[in-house]
Amino acid sequence: MKPKVVVFVFPGSNSEDETKRALDAVGLDARLVHSDDAEHATADGYVLPGGFAYEDRIRAGAVAAHDRALDVVIDAAEGGKPVLGICNGAQILIESGLVPGTGPIRRPTAAFAPNVPGGRFRCVHTYLRTMQPPERSPLLRGLGEGTLVPAWAAHGEGRLSASLEELERIREGRHIAFVYATSDGETTEGAIPNGSALGVAGLINKKGNVLAVMPHPERDAWTFMHLGAPGASRSDALAPSGGIALFESFARAFSAL
Amino acid sequence: MLELGLPEIALSPEERKRVVETLGREPTPVEWFAFDAQWSEHCSYKSSRRFLRNLPTSGERVILGPGEDAGVVRLGDYNGESYAIVVAHESHNHPSQVVPFEGAATGIGGIVRDVLCMGAEVIGVADPLRFGTSAWAGFIAQGVVDGIAAYGNAIGVPNVGGDVAFDPRFDDNVLVNVVALGLVKERDLIHSRAPRGSAGWDIVLVGKATDRSGFGGASFSSLQLDAQDAEANKGAVQVPDAFLKSVIMRASYRVFELLRREAIVAGFKDLGAGGVMGCTAELVASGGYGARIDLDNVPVTDRDLPAPVIAVGETQERLCWIVPPAFTPRLLEVYNEEFGLPRVARGAGATPIGKVIAEPRYVLSHRGSVVMDVPTDFLCGGIAYERPYELPSRHEGEAVSRDVDLHALLPKVLAHLDVCSRAPIFERYDGVVRGTTAIPRGYADAGVLVPIPGSPLAVALAVAGNPRLGAIDPYAAAVAAVVEAARNVAAVGARPVALTDCLNFGDADQPRQFGEFVAAVDGLAEAATALETPFVSGNVSLYNTSAGGNAVPASPIVACVGVLENVANVVTPALRERGSALYLIGPRSDALGGSVAGSFFGAENEALPRIDLAEVRAELEFVRAAIDEGLVLAAHDVSDGGVAVALCEMVFASRERTLSARIASHGAWAPQTAECGAWFGESGGIVVEVAAAERFRAFARERGCAIWRLGDVIAGDTLVFGECEFAVESLHDAWSSPLRGFYR
Repeated sequence: MKPKVVVFVFPGSNSEDETKRALDAVGLDARLVHSDDAEHATADGYVLPGGFAYEDRIRAGAVAAHDRALDVVIDAAEGGKPVLGICNGAQILIESGLVPGTGPIRRPTAAFAPNVPGGRFRCVHTYLRTMQPPERSPLLRGLGEGTLVPAWAAHGEGRLSASLEELERIREGRHIAFVYATSDGETTEGAIPNGSALGVAGLINKKGNVLAVMPHPERDAWTFMHLGAPGASRSDALAPSGGIALFESFARAFSAL
Repeated sequence: MLELGLPEIALSPEERKRVVETLGREPTPVEWFAFDAQWSEHCSYKSSRRFLRNLPTSGERVILGPGEDAGVVRLGDYNGESYAIVVAHESHNHPSQVVPFEGAATGIGGIVRDVLCMGAEVIGVADPLRFGTSAWAGFIAQGVVDGIAAYGNAIGVPNVGGDVAFDPRFDDNVLVNVVALGLVKERDLIHSRAPRGSAGWDIVLVGKATDRSGFGGASFSSLQLDAQDAEANKGAVQVPDAFLKSVIMRASYRVFELLRREAIVAGFKDLGAGGVMGCTAELVASGGYGARIDLDNVPVTDRDLPAPVIAVGETQERLCWIVPPAFTPRLLEVYNEEFGLPRVARGAGATPIGKVIAEPRYVLSHRGSVVMDVPTDFLCGGIAYERPYELPSRHEGEAVSRDVDLHALLPKVLAHLDVCSRAPIFERYDGVVRGTTAIPRGYADAGVLVPIPGSPLAVALAVAGNPRLGAIDPYAAAVAAVVEAARNVAAVGARPVALTDCLNFGDADQPRQFGEFVAAVDGLAEAATALETPFVSGNVSLYNTSAGGNAVPASPIVACVGVLENVANVVTPALRERGSALYLIGPRSDALGGSVAGSFFGAENEALPRIDLAEVRAELEFVRAAIDEGLVLAAHDVSDGGVAVALCEMVFASRERTLSARIASHGAWAPQTAECGAWFGESGGIVVEVAAAERFRAFARERGCAIWRLGDVIAGDTLVFGECEFAVESLHDAWSSPLRGFYR
């Protein structure tokens, strides 16, 4: 049987459909569940999609982090189930304290803060450079240190911000799953679209079962989304490729557990 | 009325007289405001309609032409279902000049409802923008871009097209046009009218509680703007709530599903100009019915809201259903329980407010008494004006043969505000949400979506409209807008299938300014007919003038929808292979009137490039066929800045691959033209990169299409134009820098 994954839809979520398509494409059984119905949402893993849950009131992710749906996600995370948050989902995970996971639950130790410069929403193509070896986390098992995953950064609040001590803990504790990179894999200043500390694009918790990624790999997960890229095969434009790698890696976590 | 703090109504003395005579009595205040809204230019097209009739509106793919909230064209079949694209086009110019953020945001909000109410999923938006150049206009421009970003990003609809032009003549009147696309199965289309046999059905209002915002919007948009009035007019602008809209959209998709399952034909329409009254009156009038509505049923934020405000106020984020009473409880459950609108925004929800009646009368009551009772057809039907107009004479000027210092001029042209990179603006918009975008905004001449998961069918969308031409010759500007929009779509490999227009002009009461509108409609009709691409929807925005009499340049703005059978065939301007050949399709001309380069040496009023519509049609058909054949690696239309700029942009787009171009001297590919016209003339055409040059030449010969060999794609960071060499990096700097200061 396919592992069942619940994608929680909050009021204001807007990326649930494409996220479900990517999860289904890698052999998972993804179900969209409204956050109000969270108590009935038993699953093998959980995904929090992009969007503007609760209108990003207070801070992006701050309200949803206190939703009942997060009780379910927190329980699952503590029980070792795979959890993935993308963009707004990543913001919710950091607000819930699940990532980097260096403090107590729902007492965030870091934030995805307004972009620099200007605090404005930016939508730009980018690459996630994998910063941990496969053995660090079951969710990263399908990638590999240095592997590049194409994705779109599309957010106004994605700059990792924390105290210097906390940033040190994040680095030392090997919580940096991904950093922003160029198509050549270079982690230059210019590759960071939002001023994120340490160039961080994705965080992982200590146990390695909760992954928060700011850019959207599901928006570059099919060949037609990157037909111009070198090596893209025009004969099968509807095939999954590119950003789908991150979902494939996520799916492998279920067989590993 | 003044005690209520209400604005004066905009009806003319003759219109007031007609209302009094027909009703046979003095109208009530609610009736005055109702006629004021319904008979505004914005709602009634009273001055423009007789000219718009000349536009071609039918074609083999047209399912629904102009008349409802949006037009509908056939996309194609997938899994035994016929799919259609819904397209709507509007302006939100006046509100954006007064309160830029809210004005632009509600512009997106309104156009999205126009598409939604056809039963469609909203799949994309595009926004043609015309900004001024003063410091204040810069502030307005920022607010407009912020408003579009905030609203469009939040509702999760990708921004896939649009353009931006700058001109001091927009200082007092910004133009904010919006286009939206929807996807619907042909058999699930919902119409904006009371269905046959709907007498006795419920009229159900959905969305935000009615408040004081947006009162007088319809007539406000038909008045000219005065700086002193701007402050007072702020109350006429609506307040956006993208969060609520996002939930309403998803709840409505759920209702569509239920209606489909139960095979119910319902009526659905968005509330725009004229508020509750305008929407419900048009819904029932177009079905030949009447309505009886109790304004006390309309949820309000303030118990003391006067009846006219409840009736015609334009509070945002509202829609209206006409459904059989047996379905009403289920409808209310979806909006109020399943999607919990009342928990999303105070007072929001779905509420029955009245009934459809067989008698064609429109009756409103408030606190126990009838406050409006008029014949529906008189309210919604025939008001028309035959305004005097003076057709502008066609522009005549001489074409001057010029040599040019390429080294000096090219960087200047690249840095021109109408040419330079728009990235600082379009990066503010989410172009890839929904995960259906093949080509986001700014990566090609048209945006491309693959809206049906699993199907290779793709939709292209592009817009065009050149204010430099509009200021000189409205007719020529209209022809050029149609041609460029269609060419943009063909340049990505799509077949142009439908057009929409937003016609932004000055004061309709001035025969000269109204004449510009008439001339432009002639141009649109001529070009659309020649290209066999019908107009399926559109919008007219008149009175884009300020008290000083400054009218905007004639701005016929055209959007073109294209269809690709297979997204795999899409091409973009990015050069792809070292050693491939570059060809030009379309002749050059010395005419520099209205061109970007011409503005650097006072040639604005010289001859305009001549457009041969039969040639354009052949050119577009040829390019599309060549792309379909797989002969084309990259393509880019020639527009602002001419061939020189088109080539630079193709090189910039491939920068990651460090490809460049070596182009022959103009004598080789534009022998009849002097140097300046060859490189910078804006006579249209398309530049293509081809791998198999021999096959491409043979293909062109077979089809009788003239092509010129421009040069080759080379590796490296040097661009060669004839005798001139440029460092790509420095040209790219010139092109990418000017709008970096958009936010100061």
